[in-house]
Amino acid sequence: MKQKTDVLQGTLALMVLKTLDVLGPQHGYGIARRIEQISGDLLAVNQGTLYPVLLKLEQEGAIASEWGASENNRRARFYRLTREGRKQLQAETQDWERTAAIIARFFDAKAENLS
Amino acid sequence: MRSLRRFLHRVVNVMTGRAPDERLREEIEEHIALQTEENLRAGWSPVEARRQAMLKFGGVEAMKQDYRAERGLLFIENLLGDFGNAGRTIRRMPGLAAVIIVSLAIGIGVNTTIFSWIQMILLEPLPGVRGASNFLLVEPRSETSGYPGASWLEYRALRTQVPALRDLVASQMVPFNVGETGQTERTHGQLVSGNYFSALGLKPAMGRFIRPEEAERPGTEPVVVISYDYWQTRFRGAPRAVGQKVRVNGRDLIVIGVAPREFQGTMLPLKFELWAPATLAPALLGRTRDLEDRSVRAFSLIGMLKPGATRQEAQAEFSTAMAQLARDYPEASAGIGGEILPFWDTPRGPQRMLISGLAVLQSVMLLLLLAVCGNTANLMLARGSTRQREMAVRVALGAGPWRIVSLVLSENMLLALLGASLGAAMAVWGTTALRVAPIIGAFPILFQTRVDELTLAFAILLGAACGLIFSAAPAVHLARLDLGDGLRSSSNTPPRSRARRVLMGVEVGLAMVVLIAAALFLESFRSARQTDPRFQPEGVLLAAYDLSGRNPDQASEREFAARLLERLRSLPDVQAAAIATNVPLDLHGIPARPFTVEGHVRTEAGQDRAISNTVTPGYFKVMAIPLFEGNDFAEMRDRAAPPQAIVNEEFVRRYLKGADAIGRRIQTRAGSFAIIGVARDSVYEAFGEPAQPAVYFSYRDLPWSHGEIHMRTRSGNETALTSEARAVLRDLDPMLPLYDVRTFSQHIDRNLFLRRIPARMFVVLGPLLLGLAAIGIYAVVSYAVARRTREIGVRLAFGATSGRVVLQIIRENLGAITWGAAIGWILALVISIHAITKGVVNLPVFTGVPAILLGVATLACWIPARRASRIDPMAALRHE
Repeated sequence: MKQKTDVLQGTLALMVLKTLDVLGPQHGYGIARRIEQISGDLLAVNQGTLYPVLLKLEQEGAIASEWGASENNRRARFYRLTREGRKQLQAETQDWERTAAIIARFFDAKAENLS
Repeated sequence: MRSLRRFLHRVVNVMTGRAPDERLREEIEEHIALQTEENLRAGWSPVEARRQAMLKFGGVEAMKQDYRAERGLLFIENLLGDFGNAGRTIRRMPGLAAVIIVSLAIGIGVNTTIFSWIQMILLEPLPGVRGASNFLLVEPRSETSGYPGASWLEYRALRTQVPALRDLVASQMVPFNVGETGQTERTHGQLVSGNYFSALGLKPAMGRFIRPEEAERPGTEPVVVISYDYWQTRFRGAPRAVGQKVRVNGRDLIVIGVAPREFQGTMLPLKFELWAPATLAPALLGRTRDLEDRSVRAFSLIGMLKPGATRQEAQAEFSTAMAQLARDYPEASAGIGGEILPFWDTPRGPQRMLISGLAVLQSVMLLLLLAVCGNTANLMLARGSTRQREMAVRVALGAGPWRIVSLVLSENMLLALLGASLGAAMAVWGTTALRVAPIIGAFPILFQTRVDELTLAFAILLGAACGLIFSAAPAVHLARLDLGDGLRSSSNTPPRSRARRVLMGVEVGLAMVVLIAAALFLESFRSARQTDPRFQPEGVLLAAYDLSGRNPDQASEREFAARLLERLRSLPDVQAAAIATNVPLDLHGIPARPFTVEGHVRTEAGQDRAISNTVTPGYFKVMAIPLFEGNDFAEMRDRAAPPQAIVNEEFVRRYLKGADAIGRRIQTRAGSFAIIGVARDSVYEAFGEPAQPAVYFSYRDLPWSHGEIHMRTRSGNETALTSEARAVLRDLDPMLPLYDVRTFSQHIDRNLFLRRIPARMFVVLGPLLLGLAAIGIYAVVSYAVARRTREIGVRLAFGATSGRVVLQIIRENLGAITWGAAIGWILALVISIHAITKGVVNLPVFTGVPAILLGVATLACWIPARRASRIDPMAALRHE
């Protein structure tokens, strides 16, 4: 079984970590909402793809989860960032910014600037 | 690091089998409920709100799949599932599975047992010694007389001159008479150098071992190390055995320690009970020359290669050292070089012979296992063809070719591993049974084979290899299945498989050869027991004595024998008594000596040799061998008569062309002898041997320290003589034990023991091969029949009787079988005429075996053919 989009999975994981970093413990739906709000259509369909990513992060130890009560007092699984996850987020944010900066410079570069 | 943690989680999840779906289901529900509420707030109708929420969530099943794949290890889970499935499939076919597992188990069990022997000889030549395969034999080699052993002084010189070997160790095998006066028993021990135990890396089970300084100066330290078995049987394993005195060859030795349980000495496969410092040789054996004379080569040397050193280096150093010794001491060492040999290549034991025999046996058995694999492949193919539909359905539902292959593989692997486990259990049983089987004889012999990790790994590996071999055909067949074809029909006419038929023919041929060999072997074994040895073994008791510990001279040996015979002959129940140096039909054979005789000139190169035995007067009477001409030997105390010899008929026939023998002279290394009589030929070394020339010498002329007492009883109950004979010997010499007491019939049984092993093996192998061939034929025919259900249905529908169908199927398959059988038969005939019976064809065997084999083959064809002919033609056609 081939992973459809490794890039999507990777960015999705980073978005999950950032969301939990900003908003604190959240259940799956909350995370999905937040990502949808910010990223627009990335999670407009197939919100379900979030859950395998959550499981992967949890198995890696970046996030932890426990049962809690949601806003309307129903049982929901809440995810929170672990210390390890925070470290991972920092490292990946830096990586990402560096990559983004390089890509940005690359696209900005004009022919005359290179000569 | 992260991926490792993820992997561990997955493994834990797989192992605990925790249900993941419950948590996910709840999360999904919660997610959709929250989204629905959100949608309701946005003004959707309740139904639409939920529908949109679910749409937005996406494909639940696909997501669940991803989730599960993430959670566990899909590959492993599939495999576990496959094995579960395989287990169920196998349970649905108990008969077939049993046949496959048992035939595999037999094949693997036999192979593993043989492997454990090879492993013992090659890798663990010294039981109880770790890393024993690193030890090498250091053998002086004489240009003329083989491997004479090393002298003590030579050993001491070599210790420093072969630096590639760590700790050169010397040992010498000696017979010991142990015990108090009048109750001595004979055991065997080794006289060893001081570094013996430390160099072998042994740890005492009790007490301590011999220290180097205890084997420095002659006769200083009267210490002895005893074997574990000896400790258990003679001291009942009591700790206070250490420090006690034992009387060995009339001298008190102090027990200082007990060797480890498995250790049996360094001259395999002999088993020793005592180890004493080599410097005790003068005290224990009265042989001072053992330590001082360079021409007395009594010791065997072994040494372990230093890390990094090679055998070639050791060989070069050893050769140089021996060359130097030859220059320094030409009278004792001239012409003596040296060889460094691995243990299995020892010039003194049966290892070399065993290894080549075992190698042949192992290859034959591996071939047999291959035949089992072929059979199993056919059986699985036959079954596979009935499962085409199942596989087609699986493919249609999305299983890839690898899933199908893994499914088939796991089924076969499970069968193979079950077979291997059963085979390993059989090997454990087999080696234990062989191990406890005592190999009696003048020397105690013990083979310590066992099934250890390596042997088990071998069994499992064989099983896995078999599984792979016999999965290949069905797996490839089913994986390449055409989907539509498989779903639509269950049987179309297959391409005739030539390979399968050839395999069937080869198996039948192989079975034919082995069965005929087995039958011939059994015939010869049976007739051996009935052959007249041409002497009379019934009513004769044999027993041995050995004066070698006393350092006697020839006169005292002669006198001892004479007195012993006088006393024995005076016993009321003894009809006749004699002493000889050799007993016919001995396991170790009878020596043949070179000689020249008056009236015969040898024209070709080499020397004439004849079986030789040195006997006292009265021997021919005890053995009931008539003397055709001349007289018995002169009395033992007769000093006047010249040296005498008696020859047998074959000797006269072969060397004297039937001319008169009496009065001619025979010259041997021991001197010149006058022929005084001609005795009837008898059996000397083996039943069924061709007539052999033999010369008897007189004990009077060539007395010896060792003798085999022969006593013929008057009453017919020879065992009753045992205690009387013991009493006589004790009376003559209270320290001398009588050993190896047995009736002549028991002695002959011992000789047949070694022939019985292959005979038994053939008894087991013959029916086994017959069974395997039958299974093979059954498999091929039932496969062919299963693939031709429609054809058979059509035939039956058009009016063929079931009898005709059966007959046709049998006829088709009997072709290949007959070919194989004929080739096997001719092969067996050729081998038999050239090697075994030498021109005589055993008609009952050569007609009976093919009849049985072809009968069984026909039956194996008939069973599946009959089943096929019984199908309802309508059902067979509708089946399509």
